Amino acid sequence: MLEIKNLHACVEGEDEQILKGVNLTINKGEIHAIMGPNGSGKSTLAKVVSGHPEYEITEGEILFEGEDVTELDADERAHLGMFLAFQYPIEVPGITNRTLLRESYNTIARENGREELDPIEFDDYLKERLEVIDMKDEFLERSINTGFSGGEKKKNEVFQMAVLNPKLAFMDETDSGLDIDALKIVSDGINKIAGPENAIVLITHYQRLLNYITPDYVHVMMNGKIVKSAGKELALELEDQGYEQLEKQFSVNGEAQ
Amino acid sequence: MSTAVQEKETILNFLDGNFGNISNIPAIAGLNDKGAGNISEFPFPTKKDEDWRFTDLRSISRNHFVPVTDSGAVQLGDISNHYLPEATNSRLVFVNGEFNSRLSSTADIPENVVVGNMAAFGDHEILKTHLGKYTNYDEDQDVFAALNDANFKDGGFIYVPKETKVEAPIHILNVFTDSEKAYYATPRVLFVGEAYSKATIVEEHVALTQNEYLNVTVNEFKLFEGAHVHHARIQRDSKKANHISRPIAHLDKFAEYHSYTICLGAKLFRNDPRVVQNDEEVDFTIDGLVLIDGDQIADTHSAIDHRHWHAKSHQLHKVVVNDEAHSIFNGKIFVREDSQKIDSFQENRNLLLSVDGTVHTKPQLEIFSDDVLCSHGATIGHLNEDEVFYLHSRGLTKKKARELLVYAFTLESIETMEVESVHKLLLDEVVKYTSRDEEFVAVGKE
Repeated sequence: MLEIKNLHACVEGEDEQILKGVNLTINKGEIHAIMGPNGSGKSTLAKVVSGHPEYEITEGEILFEGEDVTELDADERAHLGMFLAFQYPIEVPGITNRTLLRESYNTIARENGREELDPIEFDDYLKERLEVIDMKDEFLERSINTGFSGGEKKKNEVFQMAVLNPKLAFMDETDSGLDIDALKIVSDGINKIAGPENAIVLITHYQRLLNYITPDYVHVMMNGKIVKSAGKELALELEDQGYEQLEKQFSVNGEAQ
Repeated sequence: MSTAVQEKETILNFLDGNFGNISNIPAIAGLNDKGAGNISEFPFPTKKDEDWRFTDLRSISRNHFVPVTDSGAVQLGDISNHYLPEATNSRLVFVNGEFNSRLSSTADIPENVVVGNMAAFGDHEILKTHLGKYTNYDEDQDVFAALNDANFKDGGFIYVPKETKVEAPIHILNVFTDSEKAYYATPRVLFVGEAYSKATIVEEHVALTQNEYLNVTVNEFKLFEGAHVHHARIQRDSKKANHISRPIAHLDKFAEYHSYTICLGAKLFRNDPRVVQNDEEVDFTIDGLVLIDGDQIADTHSAIDHRHWHAKSHQLHKVVVNDEAHSIFNGKIFVREDSQKIDSFQENRNLLLSVDGTVHTKPQLEIFSDDVLCSHGATIGHLNEDEVFYLHSRGLTKKKARELLVYAFTLESIETMEVESVHKLLLDEVVKYTSRDEEFVAVGKE
């Protein structure tokens, strides 16, 4: 589904490379976890894959279902079925969740030659999807993320994902800042959405989330590269030993080898 | 070497007309005389005048305006698309400033209430008592208010007696038609609401074609004890027009006056709203929403005068600027020495969509008492890049994302409209404004 080949990227207009040759293959039906210390490039990878204009790809390519999406705008990637759950969901006062989701859902449907939903049909659909994250109807009427608690914002990202039903979702630290109840609801929601036809990439600092969602693969990112990939047991290993061991192993003079 | 004393320019340099005693109604003729004297004396403002520092008046001073000639003969065509369904029988229509009885209808107005034209109520005691009593623009040597005084022969007259509520909104529809020559018109409104009366006014200025004219309006609103007025002002003048507006409201004890000025049209719009508190416990609003593009100039110079205890005032002035348009905001708030317990809110928020747009903003608070809550703020910004990307990443085109964000910015102002059809009309106008083909250039981070 997704193939990332030798991906290099920097902040637009700056020289310093943040991604220094990332290789990653994700097949449908899989759940991947990308772990790593702060500043290792995890969030940058998620943003670059989603088409954030702040970053420039200097080398390598991103193939989604065989198509090179490197030059596509963020909306075009969304139309193909790619989704980014933001680490810090943006507050957009004045636009309700319902307005955004309807606009978004129907645009994606239109782009894929599917039928758009009228307001009544869409409402029924939204209400059904609300159950995924255990939210009340009132949630739809609120301005996007405006005045939401940290947990509500993260739930809203999962809710948007439930409604838009992407093929591939990058979830950027969706677990951070969640209390135990919210973490259960959010991971429960992600588990409900995960299926044989889609793929999910969880970007996280901590093993905690992986107690609730079992990944097929765990990758460790350091210094702009994926330095180690293995099964779910790797997460536990990291929890035990921390990243220091790996850092020693994979870096010479602060540079990943 | 001799130095010639340069004669100061007056507005008479830019227009033709015979002024003074032109009305046969004494209350109006008196003002005509006063105005005629003033316009020949008051100097035409320049950028050296503090109140006109940023305002380019060349669209007036490089033009020449003639009086309106017999607007009754103008071929109007059907203008019913400008009627409000809620005000089918509570409507006054003025064509180029002149009353048109054929297009007006006041069948829904209660018998004890007056909604009509001044010329038809020349002997009315209320008109005689109140007309011209509230415009204090003379002390500022205001040439435009003086021109209105000098030139008006008629106008809208609304009188709501004690404890009377007018259910239907009163629509004062000013239409401006095509003309070979640029003309000037001087619409005038007097509203008097007696104790505990209630009314909703929709004052609209709309051009049927995109031609040049000078629209100089004066509104006087007098609210007695406990009177409530909702006043929506919709300015959809021609994009070649000049509109100078002087609305003033005087509020007695417990009065509530809420006005919302929506600026969409005019090459030059200058609005100087004033609210004067005559007694304790008043509550008022002078909100504004400005949507301009091209080479439009929209200038609001407001003055709020708290003179007594316990006033609550609200001024949210929202502005969206595109292309080379220019917005100016100068919001004066006075709190006099003897007025305590004042709760005054003022905020001017500007959204710049283009690189070449200009915004000048100046909150001006003059507070002479100590137990006062005055919050004020002014912001100028581009659309937030993070917000645009968030919507963009959800599949919306950048253009659509920006449209939605501009729409969201204006919504707060539009939602204050009480009359449903006005609400709808403004939503349509916002969509028209935002859904232009070009993309907005300027985007910035908060």
